Amino acid sequence: MVKPLSSSASAHGADEAVYGLDQLLELAGDQLGEEITPRTVRLYATEGLIDRPGKDGRRALYSQRHLLQLLLVRTLARRGLSLSAIAPLVVGSDAELQQQWSQLDESAQPAPAAEPINNALAYLQSMRADMGGESEASASLLPLLGSPLSSRSPSLRASRMSGRSSASSSRWHRFSLAPGVELHLSESASIPPAGSRREAWLKRLIDRLREQLDHQD
Amino acid sequence: MQPFLHFRPLWPAVAADGATALDLLIQISAPPLPPELSTRPRPPLNLALVIDRSGSMAGSKLSYARKAARFLAGELTSRDRLAIVTFDDEVNVLVPSQPVRDPLTFISAINTIDAGGCTALFDGWLAGATQVAQQLDPTALNRVLLLSDGQANEGLTEAGAIAAKVEGLTQRGISTSAFGLGSGFDEDLMGAIAAAGDGTLAQIESPRQLADLYASELQGLASTIGRKVSLGIRGKHGAELIDVLNDLPQTVAGNFQLPNLRHGQELNVGVRLQLPAWAANQEIASVRLAWDSPEQQGRQSLVELLTLPVQPKAELLDLECDPVVAEQFGLLQANRERRQTIEALDQGDLQGALFSLASMDERLADLPQSEAIQRERQLLAEKRALMQQDRNLSRKRLRRESLRSSLSVWEAVDDND
Repeated sequence: MVKPLSSSASAHGADEAVYGLDQLLELAGDQLGEEITPRTVRLYATEGLIDRPGKDGRRALYSQRHLLQLLLVRTLARRGLSLSAIAPLVVGSDAELQQQWSQLDESAQPAPAAEPINNALAYLQSMRADMGGESEASASLLPLLGSPLSSRSPSLRASRMSGRSSASSSRWHRFSLAPGVELHLSESASIPPAGSRREAWLKRLIDRLREQLDHQD
Repeated sequence: MQPFLHFRPLWPAVAADGATALDLLIQISAPPLPPELSTRPRPPLNLALVIDRSGSMAGSKLSYARKAARFLAGELTSRDRLAIVTFDDEVNVLVPSQPVRDPLTFISAINTIDAGGCTALFDGWLAGATQVAQQLDPTALNRVLLLSDGQANEGLTEAGAIAAKVEGLTQRGISTSAFGLGSGFDEDLMGAIAAAGDGTLAQIESPRQLADLYASELQGLASTIGRKVSLGIRGKHGAELIDVLNDLPQTVAGNFQLPNLRHGQELNVGVRLQLPAWAANQEIASVRLAWDSPEQQGRQSLVELLTLPVQPKAELLDLECDPVVAEQFGLLQANRERRQTIEALDQGDLQGALFSLASMDERLADLPQSEAIQRERQLLAEKRALMQQDRNLSRKRLRRESLRSSLSVWEAVDDND
């Protein structure tokens, strides 16, 4: 008899976990919060969306990979992707499937209308993660990008704009002062009006610059 | 809609009693679009236009870039998706990917683009690519169009590293075209991106050409019958592949990557095989063309086997060589030798660069003076004159021309006027 999957076994990876159909349905149903029928699983297997199960005599055996495929297919289908659009997304390596699922699973929690996931997107997201600094910008844009156009309210737009200008990622203007010398000025920088206040401001900048140069010597 | 593979040897036979260096032209041709299909709607496009708005774009370049972007939005339909991304030292998703139901939405956003700071080229690409990826549609043509006039000087800037990332995305179904504008862009980087991106390389010297370029890009996308095209060449019975004149990038499996295949187009690949003494009717090589089709699921492929007549070595000298093959080999060789000219230029060796151009011309002068050969010699003469006046522009054009063998390079009709 196949032992039910314990949580420690799942942490060890795909190879050890083997389920019967009932266990597969139960596990998937728990994670998805919907009942999955044997018919659904057979349909997906026929359509090539999940791999053919292994056999032990007349009993079909499923692995962690089957479970991942089933989770991905159901989740993507619920988000309105057609089965033919899903097909290319569930053929990756176990690691890729796992990564896609964790991203989908994560994005499913806070916002129901998260972006569809695919290999290309997972690839780009991992690239952003590697580069570190970019993740902040992407995080602020993704909820907007993933939502359907109809639901994109003016308030979302406004929040994005204000987010941009209040955060460190505001727009910058560039002025060329001399060959090889440029001044970058954030849109949020407030420049005092012409007169004594501006003169004082400029003097402070010059002092600051002088400090920097002296420091370099 | 199947492409064809056709073999044309420079000499019509190989030696029975000694070694042969076999120069072979592999012609890959895509049939023209049959008239009954020409009214059929093209596959939908899923595009991101990524526009450099760094300080150097200020003025007429940006004004033409806006104009061309408006043109692009106007050419797309509600079946297509478009995202517009701008970048300077930071990235702004101006219009997130959406169907082009009303071009005005895009146009009003495009009109707000103004010039800013540095050139975070890679980050701009990444944002555009993400827009396309979020809407990735296996039945559409998914592509990033990257327009820049500058050197990447912010974020990831190393050409090899950028190309590797672009290549990874190509493998996942999204291609990238690279358009360099003006005289300040990095032609090596843009060439590497277009090659890795399975897209088009364009170098436009005047921003006026942008709209023509976009029109041609849309036309090209619409007539694409094969993407991620690869050519596998396997010598048999001791025949050995020793050179591919096109200098094509290779896949991990050792196959050669070709540019996209379009209706009515012909790609020429020049190869040299080294053969031992050959037996009659013995297969020399098998050549396998593989591609992704917009119409069919899965990888498409076709295989042709090469056999040639066998004769005693002494009699081979009496045979006539194929002038078309000689011409194509001359052109491929000249593209390859441009790399040496560029190397000489990069070492500050102007005389060496001029000399290599002159020796290319000498070799071409020995060939029958077909239209293509004359055109090529004219291009070389222009480069020679230009090198004295504007070394940068000369280098840019040489790089572009050297890449004609291995990728889709856009050439304006009036480019050299």
